[in-house]
Amino acid sequence: MDLRAGDSWGMLACLCTVLWHLPAVPALNRTGDPGPGPSIQKTYDLTRYLEHQLRSLAGTYLNYLGPPFNEPDFNPPRLGADTLPRATVNLEVWQSLNDKLRLTQNYEAYSHLLCYLRALNRQAATAELRRSLAHFCTSLQGLLGSIAGVMAALGYPLPQPLPGTELTWAPGPAHSDFLQKMDDFWLLKELQTWLWRSAKDFNRLKKKMQPPAAAVTLHLEAHGF
Amino acid sequence: MDVSLCWRPPAWTVGEKRMRTAPTLRRLLSALTLLHVMVQVNSQKRGALRDLKCTTNNLQVWDCAWKAPLGAGHGTVNEVCIDDRLHSCYPLEKGNVKIPALPPGDHEVIVNYLHGFNGSSAKFILNEQNVSLIPNTPEILTLSADFSTSTLYLTWDDRSCAFAHHSKVTWEIKVLRTPRMELINLVTFNTTLNGRDTVHYWRWTSDLPLQCATHYVGIRCYLDHLHFAGPKEWSAWSPLMNISWAPESEAKAFPQDKVVLVGSNITFCCVSQTKVLSGQIGKTFYPLIHLYGQNVAIHIQNISVSENSGTNVVFMIEDNVCGTVVFAGYPPDVPQKLNCETHDLKDIICNWNPGRPTGLVGPRNTNYTLLDSFSGKSVTFKRFETLTNESYQLLFQMPPHQEIYNLTLTARNPLGQSESAILVNITERVCPHTPTSLKVKDINSTVVTLSWHLPGNFARINLVCQIEIWKPNSKQELQNITIKGVENSSYLVVVDKLNPYTTYTFRIRCSTEPFWKWSKWSSGKRHLTTEAIPSKGPDTWREWSSDGRNLIIYWKPLPISEANGKILSYNVSCSSHEEVQSMSEILDPQHRAELQLVKDDYIISVVAKNSAGPSPPSRIASMEIPNDDLTVEQAVGLGKKIRLSWPPDPNVTCDYVIKWCNSSRSEPCLMDWKKVPSNSTEAVIESDQFRPGVRYNFFLYGCRSQGYQLLRSIIGYIEELAPIVAPNFTVEDTSADSILVRWEDIPVEELRGFLRGYLFYFQKGERDTPKMRSLETGHSDIKVKNITDTSQKTLRIADLQGKTSYRLVLRAYTDGGLGPEKSMFVVTKENSVGLIIAILIPVAVAVIVGVVTSTLCYRKREWIKETFYPDIPNPENCKALQFQKSVCEGSNALKTLEMNPCTPNDVEVLETRSIIPKIEDTEIISPVAERPEEISEAEPENHVVVSYCPPIIEEEIANPAADDAGGTSQVVYIDVQSMCQPQARPEDEQDIDPIVGAGYKPQMRLPINSAVEETAAENDADSTAGYRPQANVNTWNLVSPDSPRSTDSNSEIVSFGSPCSVNSRQFLIPPKDDDSPKSNGGAWSFTNFFQNKPND
Repeated sequence: MDLRAGDSWGMLACLCTVLWHLPAVPALNRTGDPGPGPSIQKTYDLTRYLEHQLRSLAGTYLNYLGPPFNEPDFNPPRLGADTLPRATVNLEVWQSLNDKLRLTQNYEAYSHLLCYLRALNRQAATAELRRSLAHFCTSLQGLLGSIAGVMAALGYPLPQPLPGTELTWAPGPAHSDFLQKMDDFWLLKELQTWLWRSAKDFNRLKKKMQPPAAAVTLHLEAHGF
Repeated sequence: MDVSLCWRPPAWTVGEKRMRTAPTLRRLLSALTLLHVMVQVNSQKRGALRDLKCTTNNLQVWDCAWKAPLGAGHGTVNEVCIDDRLHSCYPLEKGNVKIPALPPGDHEVIVNYLHGFNGSSAKFILNEQNVSLIPNTPEILTLSADFSTSTLYLTWDDRSCAFAHHSKVTWEIKVLRTPRMELINLVTFNTTLNGRDTVHYWRWTSDLPLQCATHYVGIRCYLDHLHFAGPKEWSAWSPLMNISWAPESEAKAFPQDKVVLVGSNITFCCVSQTKVLSGQIGKTFYPLIHLYGQNVAIHIQNISVSENSGTNVVFMIEDNVCGTVVFAGYPPDVPQKLNCETHDLKDIICNWNPGRPTGLVGPRNTNYTLLDSFSGKSVTFKRFETLTNESYQLLFQMPPHQEIYNLTLTARNPLGQSESAILVNITERVCPHTPTSLKVKDINSTVVTLSWHLPGNFARINLVCQIEIWKPNSKQELQNITIKGVENSSYLVVVDKLNPYTTYTFRIRCSTEPFWKWSKWSSGKRHLTTEAIPSKGPDTWREWSSDGRNLIIYWKPLPISEANGKILSYNVSCSSHEEVQSMSEILDPQHRAELQLVKDDYIISVVAKNSAGPSPPSRIASMEIPNDDLTVEQAVGLGKKIRLSWPPDPNVTCDYVIKWCNSSRSEPCLMDWKKVPSNSTEAVIESDQFRPGVRYNFFLYGCRSQGYQLLRSIIGYIEELAPIVAPNFTVEDTSADSILVRWEDIPVEELRGFLRGYLFYFQKGERDTPKMRSLETGHSDIKVKNITDTSQKTLRIADLQGKTSYRLVLRAYTDGGLGPEKSMFVVTKENSVGLIIAILIPVAVAVIVGVVTSTLCYRKREWIKETFYPDIPNPENCKALQFQKSVCEGSNALKTLEMNPCTPNDVEVLETRSIIPKIEDTEIISPVAERPEEISEAEPENHVVVSYCPPIIEEEIANPAADDAGGTSQVVYIDVQSMCQPQARPEDEQDIDPIVGAGYKPQMRLPINSAVEETAAENDADSTAGYRPQANVNTWNLVSPDSPRSTDSNSEIVSFGSPCSVNSRQFLIPPKDDDSPKSNGGAWSFTNFFQNKPND
């Protein structure tokens, strides 16, 4: 698992630039309703930024978990983390999904993962880790909002949380610290996979929603993602 | 056990018979007795009891058992009788007999045999000491386990020993563990029986988690009954009970989430169905200890403190992983520096230092409880994350009306607890909050009120507050005030003795009585007090205008401390005895007024006014009392000050006034003035306006009732400097030996100090001399005159030389140093006698020298010619240098002459000749020739040594003996052809061309001469070869290098006769015609140094 810390400030600046330009660009080129394009682009960029942010967070958190969790070749089986939404999916299955289904899965997955992350934050024993986790939770909350925005723009309804879902999705009843650490480890891993997958999803959606050649959108390369 | 068996009836019979029979029968009887003994012994063997053992488990019944005698089964015994008073018998049961406990002492026990022995019996002596006390086997009531703590709990009762009241029982418990049922633990446990059926508890914590292996427990006891005399033995072991863990399908590691003390030893195991590959703690792998099945364990000794999330213990299984987390830390340290105080008498804040970190965070973090034992109230401090030392504090709400608290802080974590206590009277531990809302209100120009807010309920105590009063350009002032504490937190004090119209900055801090701590300072509050009337009139002075008609009044602005406000204007008025004349107001920035007075006797008064009112007037008399006895004095300052002193003058009644001005200013001159009291005799004048090197006039006035009188006039400098100009001087008169110089004064502005004298330098020197010597170097030819009489303006310099230029230099000096120099050149007048002498003497000397020189030259003319202008041979004929480069190339021996510096060598001319008239030129003798040992052997009688350069020619053929003896000092000429011919051959055809051979040619290029030379060489070898001219005889006669004919000669006649051929082995000297007049050795002895020149 390649989780490396990077220059988060640089990335933040990059993101700010992207976000600054995003609302302006369609307005320059198009009149009337800009459509879902900008919000998809924004969601895509946020996903890439979260990917970068996760690298830094995972480095810190795995060091907190201690060896062998922070060893690069540690690849344990998935113990007790069954409640985590899995991001891995067969390519054919993935291709067969429609946009609505994809977005719904993304939305649901991040809702679950956010719950786990918040629980993680409550248990963290160092102030620095708490700050990092809180920052990431805020960003992930932003991503959820963005996905909801895209779905709204495309006219898809938001998935309704089932009653009591929050409780079942919360980390399970007290099991051992070791299993908890395994859960945390898998949570980070799943988060990363989900962000990869989402980036792919949004990229696909973005291309699909691209306006005809007459309407030009500014493509901002986010270097370093 | 003492057991005996007897056969009684025969004994009786034998006894009676012996009493009655005669002595003759004794032998028969003896024989019978022996028989009886034999039978007796035989019968004892057959009926003896084997392995008799009596035990008791309740002290009531003895249970005896034995093995039947040989040949008899148990079935042959029907009863056992005890020979006591009752002679009671007990039927035998199953090989043992239960006998009620017998009293102490020996008891005979008779065993009656029913069959086989014909009514015989066996008997033995039974004593309590022969009976063993063996308690009944105890029973385990329950065996349970707490797997989380790896603790076994065992219960049993003492029912098996209940009979023995007040006896001590020792219990022994053993713990065994699979797979080898090894004994893990064996402990003893003492109790005392109390007659009741008591249940006993025992618990044991296993070092190996109980989940890792099955544990078995057994128990036995030992009854120590005081009144039982027999031996006591352990009971049998109870049946083993076990504790085992039902393994789950998934592998699991134990113990889970255990908190241990740093440094302890701990064992972890993994209960797995599949093979465990490795076990690690953190990054370190440990060897696996196989338990049973696939279960393994690892053992860690001296575990180190864990990281925040605990230390991970991980077992890698073939397709899985199992693990656990251990938290190694310390029990909480005793809370240090526990300190409790209050800010407001509402809450107590206790803070402390946690001491050594425990290494445990999160849910295992230390929690603290603060308990007040008087009120019973407590508060708890629990944090999840790690904290800084400053964060450890607890807020304890004070119960009303309680002042004394006994506070105990208890720290707890899973590894232990510690506590720290403090007893405080909280009213003595008040550190008030920072006062806020500080406000200032004017009462008048010197009194204000300060009010502030201090949160807290201090109604029961006094507050001590400190007010810091700060005004610009002065030191801050602190005022302590004590005020009674109030409930509503608002406080008000009056601050007085302030200055009017002054900006103050107030701030305040408070503490309580008794003092514990100051609060922090409140923020500062600036406040400008209101104005008051000026406390004094302005400092005034007057000057009469230069025409004496007008009086100019000067006054100084009041200092802020006396102005008490912003001065708006001044009122100037003058009054005489008759009238009061008032002037109009003069607005503030102007500090002078000019009055036109008809008389000179007025009193002038000046009043300063601000918004609060006018100041008291300051008065000054206009009249100046004349003083005839006035002298001018000098004074020099120190630093920026100048000190003036004067004798006391009783006539001065008001004060002294010193005024000063720059001496170069015009009248009325006033820079400033200073008033000093009338009893003073000195004053130090200091002003920023003073400049070094500037002359100031100081005037001391004494004040009398009717006016001021000038008492002294002083000129002075703050600091003297060197003059910046030199005095102008002129030469008034010049004679042959003296000069009269006159100079002028230097202006005061340029003098820059009191003139102390002049320095006059003079020295001989011309105006055009490029660089005159510096005056300071003190050369002897510079004469100096120091003129200390500053009034002197002329100087005559005597004892000078006539008709000589002198340089005159004049400099002025003060105590500040020497001024610049001004110089002048003056020529003294001529002295005629000296001039005549000066002309005549050189002329006479020159004539004498000329005559003597001419005479000498005439007499030595021959020698001069020989020495300086000898005949020189023409180097153009030096053919020896004409080597063909290509021919001799590569041969080191055949180089042309090099012009390197060379050591002259000898050429010995061995041939004795009578006609060598000029060879006595022995001046140019090589140093080599001076070495007598080298030349002695080869030296012929009349040899002449001639300088020769260079000496590298060796003799090989001509004179081997000489070679040996003389080394290189001899020159031998060898056959050219023999040395160079092979190389020269390709060139020969070319060289035959006579035209080509023009000019310089190598010496081997002489085919014409070769035959001649060959023979000549032979001849030479025969006749002692002295020095010979190096030219071919044939050519020698035709041409010589110096000959005019040879200069442009390109004829076929070649010249190679130069003696300067150096490195070559050329045949230099022709074999014959030695006595040619032109081969005169003296002719070339000098010119050989220039041999190459013609070839250039």
